[in-house]
Amino acid sequence: MTPLFALLFDALDSRLGLRRPGRTVANKVFPHHWSFLLGEVALFSFVVLVATGTFLTFFYRPSTELVTYAGSSPLYRGVQLPEAFASVIRLSEEVPGGLMMRRIHRAASHLFIASTVLHMLRILLTGAFRKPREPNYHIGLLLLTLALAEGFVGYSLPYDSLAGTGIRIAYSELLSFPVIGDQLAFWVFGGEFPTGDLIPRFFVFHVMLIPGLIIALIGVHLALLVRQRHTQFPRRGIDGHRMVVGKPLWPAQFQESTTLILWIGGLLTASAVLIPWSDITLLGPYIPGEVGNNAQPDWFLFWVDGMLRILPPVEVDLPGVTISGPFIAGIVLPTLVFGALIAYPFLERKVYRLRGEWHVLSNPLEIPLRAAMSIGTFSFVLIVSAAATNDILSRLTGIPIEGLTRFFRLTAVFVPPLLAFLLYWYSKRRLARTGLRVASAEVDADTRLGAGSLRT
Amino acid sequence: MSFQTRPPEQLEVIAERVPPPSQANDALVIGTAIAAAVCAAGFAIALLLGAPLSAFATLLALAMLFMAISVRRYFADRYPDIDAAEPRAEPVPDESAIQGARGSPPIQGARGSPPIQGARGSPPIQGARGSPPISDVEPVVGRRPLLTRILIGCATVLGLSFLVPVSSLGPAPGNQLRMTQWRAGRRVVTGDGEPVRPEAIAPGGVVTAWPEGAIGAEPSAVIVLRLTQPPLPPTRPEWIVDGDVVAYSKICTHAGCPVALFRERENALFCPCHQSTFDANRGAVVTFGPAERALPQLPLGIENGELIALGDFVEQVGPAFG
Repeated sequence: MTPLFALLFDALDSRLGLRRPGRTVANKVFPHHWSFLLGEVALFSFVVLVATGTFLTFFYRPSTELVTYAGSSPLYRGVQLPEAFASVIRLSEEVPGGLMMRRIHRAASHLFIASTVLHMLRILLTGAFRKPREPNYHIGLLLLTLALAEGFVGYSLPYDSLAGTGIRIAYSELLSFPVIGDQLAFWVFGGEFPTGDLIPRFFVFHVMLIPGLIIALIGVHLALLVRQRHTQFPRRGIDGHRMVVGKPLWPAQFQESTTLILWIGGLLTASAVLIPWSDITLLGPYIPGEVGNNAQPDWFLFWVDGMLRILPPVEVDLPGVTISGPFIAGIVLPTLVFGALIAYPFLERKVYRLRGEWHVLSNPLEIPLRAAMSIGTFSFVLIVSAAATNDILSRLTGIPIEGLTRFFRLTAVFVPPLLAFLLYWYSKRRLARTGLRVASAEVDADTRLGAGSLRT
Repeated sequence: MSFQTRPPEQLEVIAERVPPPSQANDALVIGTAIAAAVCAAGFAIALLLGAPLSAFATLLALAMLFMAISVRRYFADRYPDIDAAEPRAEPVPDESAIQGARGSPPIQGARGSPPIQGARGSPPIQGARGSPPISDVEPVVGRRPLLTRILIGCATVLGLSFLVPVSSLGPAPGNQLRMTQWRAGRRVVTGDGEPVRPEAIAPGGVVTAWPEGAIGAEPSAVIVLRLTQPPLPPTRPEWIVDGDVVAYSKICTHAGCPVALFRERENALFCPCHQSTFDANRGAVVTFGPAERALPQLPLGIENGELIALGDFVEQVGPAFG
């Protein structure tokens, strides 16, 4: 502690009583495992997103009014452009460091969502969602949903040709809600697509509403984490049910986290040099009624787009109610996937008659239902995500798009249940072979003391 | 040895490895910290000089990566590597157990049993200077203030370099604020673009006017007025038309409000924002209020019966700066 810091700290401590809570914080124990850093990666990418995003708001103009571009890009000189698109071009071409900030922002958004998904997978596979942590698991799923929404809205803001097309599809999805869809779409868009209110509203969603919610929920997420303490992997000789073992916040976890945020910042910046993230100059502005080939959303929405592509044509017209394919593919099925994730902790507790609190992580192969559910859900999401690239695959392989679409339909319907069944059967056999059983209370679980098969 | 006897914030150390101190490690920490600072400064300079993205972004990336190595290595041999245990909260019985339905009995005696094999409590560590330290983990090697200071200094350079993109938020002002749109020969026009003719202004009349082609260019706004008494110094007589038509900058020299009101009886220009009052008869000198400087007088001439400027203002328009 440097003398200056010590002086300042003593002055504050004598007024606020910081020493005791400060000590509790400094001594907080963090289990040491790389997968526990995935959430931190998400948190730090979010910090980068807020920092770079703030810079971008100083230049971005949320408007679709046509303006005559008078900047330095030779491609658009004298051309009428939507003001949002023109302001992004100006930011990229004329503001020193503007393009770097845009690219880091975009790269960080990919990292934010990817690390959030991987973090959620870690929680799901290892059983960190079990009592008493179900509320935090559900807050995490809400954060993932908000991250996907934030990513989509951010992708829309430059109002380039792909962004506008994406917005049009989102509008159709809102419209597809039976009975109330048209009113819902008009509430969100302020009228019939494309309206002048659309981009200003998306801007407010992107820089205020959704990030505000994300920040608030991250606060709750971390507060609950501190209150409930970490889960931990089984460790020989350590009763993880009664204590958590790891490294204290100071200095070990501080070292880890500081290094991590610097690595993230450094690698994102390096990627901005190497990869032209979100290069919209050649895509051109959105012009209603026009779109080019390779019309894909960002990767994290491939799964929804894939379902839109492969769902066979459906339209049920009842008096006053229309249920359409886009509603099933874009609203019902994604809700089912998230519903499965939301419901799973209760399902597992019910099926295995679990009692008490669970703090020690387990190998998913020791809980056959969890193994089956995880592989079923995620193989489905991956298959339909792959289906969103059917046009590119068709061009690369020469297989006609009709054949590929049929292939993805069959795969999406049959492969996830098959994989789930196979893994269920394998985990059961594995349990029988090792003589383990699915314990119903953690104090009885063989895995608690690290005697299980995860760590030997 | 049981948890209850300890204050809750006491670190329960169960394993401790003391790394050997290393001169090579110190050199690595200092080297990477300085490299980070140099790259951060390079990033700042490259951005300010308008270097291409590949140059300044590479420097910024390297600065952060070097600093990451430096921070990691700084802690590597300075502190003991500690595994610590923290007791969990007493479990709350399941809802079913509370209701007396079938459920496990509340776990008894969990806290009392020896928690770990081979655990050893660490003696309470006292700080060197009286009050106990915030952290229970003390450095294993002697204080190396030079190393710490170099690292903190270099980290500060890196932190400051993050602020350099602020310079991109607006252009350099240059000489722009010392000039207006008035040039010799430029016609004086109303807000509708009509040229101002002196005979259209009655004694005591006031017109807001602009340089032709720059209507709405706020710092160029002037008020043209016909005085009811002969002008006195320091009004510049050579910039007066007809002996009593004079033009002053409309932007108050106090805080930049438009000097919008004219009190004909006193020939006073009045700023409604902070009540600065200027004597239109005497070169718009301040007679009351917080303004310090007179409203600049526009060199006014006449050509084909229409008012023109003979040049830009000589004094600086608007509030003080610089």
